Amino acid sequence: MKAFLIDLGKCNGCYNCQIGCKDEHCGNTWLPYAQEQPEVGQFWMKVNQYDRGAVPHVRVAYIPTMCNHCENAPCMDAAKDGAVYRREDGLVLIDPAKAKGQKAIVDACPYNVIYWNEALEIPQKCTGCAHLLDGDEPIKIPRCVDNCTVDAILFGEESDLDLEGAEVLHPEYGTKPRVYYKNMPKRFIAATVYDPVEKEVVIGAKVTASNVELGNYTTETDDWGDFWLKEIPAADWKLTIEKDGKSVDMGVSTKEKDLGLGDIALA
Amino acid sequence: MAEKTTLQSIGCGGTGGDLTAVDSKDGRIVRIRPVNYLDTYTEEELEPSLWKIKVGDEVFKPGMKSAPNYFALAYKNRIYSKNRVKYPLKRVDWEPGGDPDKINAANRGKSKFKRISWDEALDIMESEIKRIIDKYGPFSVLTIGEDGHRESKNLHAGGGMHSTLMSKLGGYTREVRTPDSVEGWYWGAKHFWGSGCNKGLGMPAPPQTGYNPWHVLKDITENSELIAFDAGDWELTQNYASQAWSRLLLFWEKIGKEFVIVDPFCNYTAVCHDMKWIPILPNTDAALDFAVMYVWITEDLYDKDYVETHSVGFDKVKAYVLGEDEEGIAKTPAWASERTGIPEWTIKAYARKRAKMVTAMVHFSSGAIKGPYSHEPGRTAAYLLGMQGLGKPGVQQAFMNASLIGKETIARSTSAPFSSLNQCRMFYPSEQKIPRTMIAEALLNGSVNWWGSPAIVYVETSEQFDMNSYPTTAETYKAALGTVSPELANSQGKTIEELQAAIDEKAKNMPKFSQVHMLWSEKPCNMNCWDGGFRYQEAIRTNEVEFFVTNHQWLENDSLFADLILPVTTCVEDNDVMGGSMVVSLRHETITPPGCDRVGESMSDFEIACKVGERFGVREQIDMGMTQDEWLRYGYDNSRLGEEISWEELNERGFYFPKQDPDADKLPVGMRQFYEDPENFPLDTPTGKLEFWSDALATNFPDDKERTPMARWTVGGPEADGWTHDETLWGQRCKDYPLLLVANPARFRVHVQGDDIKWFREIETMKVTGKDGYQYEPIFINPVDAEARGIENGDIVKLFNDRGTILVGAYITERAIPGAVIVHKGSRVDPITDKLDRGGAANLISPNNHVSKHCKGFAVTGYLVEAAKVADAEMDGWKKDYPEAFARDYDPAIGINYNSWVVE
Repeated sequence: MKAFLIDLGKCNGCYNCQIGCKDEHCGNTWLPYAQEQPEVGQFWMKVNQYDRGAVPHVRVAYIPTMCNHCENAPCMDAAKDGAVYRREDGLVLIDPAKAKGQKAIVDACPYNVIYWNEALEIPQKCTGCAHLLDGDEPIKIPRCVDNCTVDAILFGEESDLDLEGAEVLHPEYGTKPRVYYKNMPKRFIAATVYDPVEKEVVIGAKVTASNVELGNYTTETDDWGDFWLKEIPAADWKLTIEKDGKSVDMGVSTKEKDLGLGDIALA
Repeated sequence: MAEKTTLQSIGCGGTGGDLTAVDSKDGRIVRIRPVNYLDTYTEEELEPSLWKIKVGDEVFKPGMKSAPNYFALAYKNRIYSKNRVKYPLKRVDWEPGGDPDKINAANRGKSKFKRISWDEALDIMESEIKRIIDKYGPFSVLTIGEDGHRESKNLHAGGGMHSTLMSKLGGYTREVRTPDSVEGWYWGAKHFWGSGCNKGLGMPAPPQTGYNPWHVLKDITENSELIAFDAGDWELTQNYASQAWSRLLLFWEKIGKEFVIVDPFCNYTAVCHDMKWIPILPNTDAALDFAVMYVWITEDLYDKDYVETHSVGFDKVKAYVLGEDEEGIAKTPAWASERTGIPEWTIKAYARKRAKMVTAMVHFSSGAIKGPYSHEPGRTAAYLLGMQGLGKPGVQQAFMNASLIGKETIARSTSAPFSSLNQCRMFYPSEQKIPRTMIAEALLNGSVNWWGSPAIVYVETSEQFDMNSYPTTAETYKAALGTVSPELANSQGKTIEELQAAIDEKAKNMPKFSQVHMLWSEKPCNMNCWDGGFRYQEAIRTNEVEFFVTNHQWLENDSLFADLILPVTTCVEDNDVMGGSMVVSLRHETITPPGCDRVGESMSDFEIACKVGERFGVREQIDMGMTQDEWLRYGYDNSRLGEEISWEELNERGFYFPKQDPDADKLPVGMRQFYEDPENFPLDTPTGKLEFWSDALATNFPDDKERTPMARWTVGGPEADGWTHDETLWGQRCKDYPLLLVANPARFRVHVQGDDIKWFREIETMKVTGKDGYQYEPIFINPVDAEARGIENGDIVKLFNDRGTILVGAYITERAIPGAVIVHKGSRVDPITDKLDRGGAANLISPNNHVSKHCKGFAVTGYLVEAAKVADAEMDGWKKDYPEAFARDYDPAIGINYNSWVVE
């Protein structure tokens, strides 16, 4: 079964994947696989981005999202007349002829990656570029994969991909996606620790975030006086910073967002 | 479905890009994609052409697939843009003849255009050029657009074909680069470390290698521990040509490099890599650098031996930094903290980290280096490298022209292509010239004076002391002819006596110089790429400008103010041979035949010059009577490519990577020879050493308080007191305009290119859709500043100062710091009325004044503005007062477009 593996640790937010998808499907009709994608408004591959943290501890998360080609695809259940079908290689495709008028296919997807084409009255989504895999075009891989300059998106047999530590989006939906992610952002807590008397950053301070149920996450401040508690769960935390007998405690929460706590005095 | 594939080298900077394959059917593009080299060559065949860097067990290689820039990958959308100029266009209320009543100069940027035939367009070109030359002389034609900021073409390149043509008709006034994008190095650092790369840019390169900085990225990869991004947002700026640096950054991360970025904006490189971001208030970089020097001096953290043997004048800088001079102010971290907004402890950590670790600096055309008084941060940044032993392994400055990894046997330099066919007059002296930054002043005042050649390359530092004038006078003409010297005589193959006689003869027959009355632009984006854009608009709306013609592919920016617009092909439509020579993963030579049918009736700038030349009987002097195919072969014949591949094989394979030089490692690395032996490998400064204090500046400009012989913390002040700028938070103007605007390049544009690519405009942060449905250029604003002004996400905001107002859309984010707002430069202009623009083109409100009194470069970032939410009543008032501006066709997907400006 074919699968995608997206390493967010490599992604630099260049949007080549999103652009490549547009380039392949806008202005081009690939029947029987897919009708033309409208020039704007649909994103069969969409990079979602959001800002994380606060000045000066800021990052942006870029997360390419697409049809998950689920093993238990709700869109297939919602489709009539076999308008959504699974190929032998596992890719889930919408038949543009059979799917005409079937808006329920759009509504069935919990990931919101199926779009409704008002003009043609059809649901549309990622095809895995099946027309390239099968056809006589010069390339044999999906465009989002071909366009990525840093190999952040891989495509191949599920059994050939290194899926150790990989996750899927919203496993709780129970659809068993075949698009896997590595280095999926969790939450971070970051700050600069300084000595308010000496007006120096504090290097090597021990930083602990603790939660009764989740346990402790620890790190140390670096040469910048910075600590980054990365990849921690969304939860309430007791944050302790200590060095040479001095310490500060505070209660913080990553439930809503990542935390950039700015400059923290260790007095 | 695709029937044909061509290769293209699409880059928005003029020096080519990583390869793309363009698949097409029936003359129309199907897709544009990266190229897998193994489809054409075997690994064995490629091996001799691939550079590699080995660090420990890790090896970095270029990869077997190209890494095109995202513009190239979206170029189908650009080629078939709804904004393409398909036919010659004439402004509806302009008539040839120069009659003020019939040119309606004041309506430029207001009245629309209509389609005309090529015959009519060429008739106008012929009659107007003739009329204007007859009346005022040939120097009354100003040719705008020299080099850069355009597509990558070779034979068909624009940016000087008009100059080539006009040179056959008796002369022209040349608009020259100032030099843009490297201001701080050019006007500042050159006085410290010499003329530098390409003998003039101002970034360091040794004279002994013909001013080539070889192996800089290799040296950094092998030896640097900390990489300081000072004014370069690599993930963004690399897209000038490729995305090769994304791969390099990942490799650097893999082998454990550390990174720090000093930038007011949490930029596109900082947000996606493990990097320390030090936010700084715009244009206070010199204060930070002085505090770093303070820490280094007081804690003994710099290379004293090197400073002793490799530099002069350090004692003066040291006294200034320690407060032991007449000023008496120590530049302590606390002092710098007040100015930069960076906590004192972070400044100390930064200073120590840069001293403790082998540190390289990375620059790419952003930040303080393009702001007011940019020569000061340019010099202080250079001082820091000097104090840590510039040229020592890993102590380098990386920049665009130092982007080459490896070295091919037939390489001409670190930046030049393998073959050149370009027929544009670029960097070519003209007897009358105007700096690009002074066009508006020249048109409005009739005359301007300045110092410096100026050209961007091949100019010695001492030329900054020469006075120039427009119009050319007998005195400046004589100066421009050159001073008789054995070197000049030798370079022209003359004896001293012959040279003197030739110069006397020329001086005796000085041409009749006049003011300009016709503008011809092959790069119509001055109001948006350069400074003081609103003033430029004012200047080209005067009757003095009798005829303004542009050659351009898209209907945008300066073309909206033109009288005649000539449609130009994109690079994919031309029959050309275009390599890639800067910021590419692997330099190449590529046959780039037309990848699709031409759009409309467009022609290349080369073809347009030939067509106009035909009317004047000089076509053969431009195309030399050769067909385009003959030209392409001629370019090959005049290159060294024939040493490695035949013309037939090159055509058959389509592209070629020249072989790596087996002796490449023998080339000196960056500034290494100067580091090792300064006596035998001197710089081209007057003393041959790094000059912390420049006697040349002291001698030539003894009264210049803005650029003194050494860098200082310069605030500026009121014009009445002789200051060029009052653009900081410590002067008077900040009381009315308390925010500092950062106007660096945009993620999804190269300068002004690409603003009409629909697929980019859909990306979050590329545009902000206002409640009126218009896609506004985003203003990145911190929540603190937004709240203080009652601005909410998505609000329509006016950004203004005493030079005018642009409308933008609020994007509230922690990527901006309080006190500084970010509007990426280069959004297309969309004029509402004089000094009011809806398109959000930041440079419209940038300073009209230059870097400083003697430095006529631009200051286009780090200047004062205020932001306010646009009230409904105010917007309604504009709609009522300027109904025609709001009635223009608007397509939410692309914004303003061809239909907005052309009447049927």
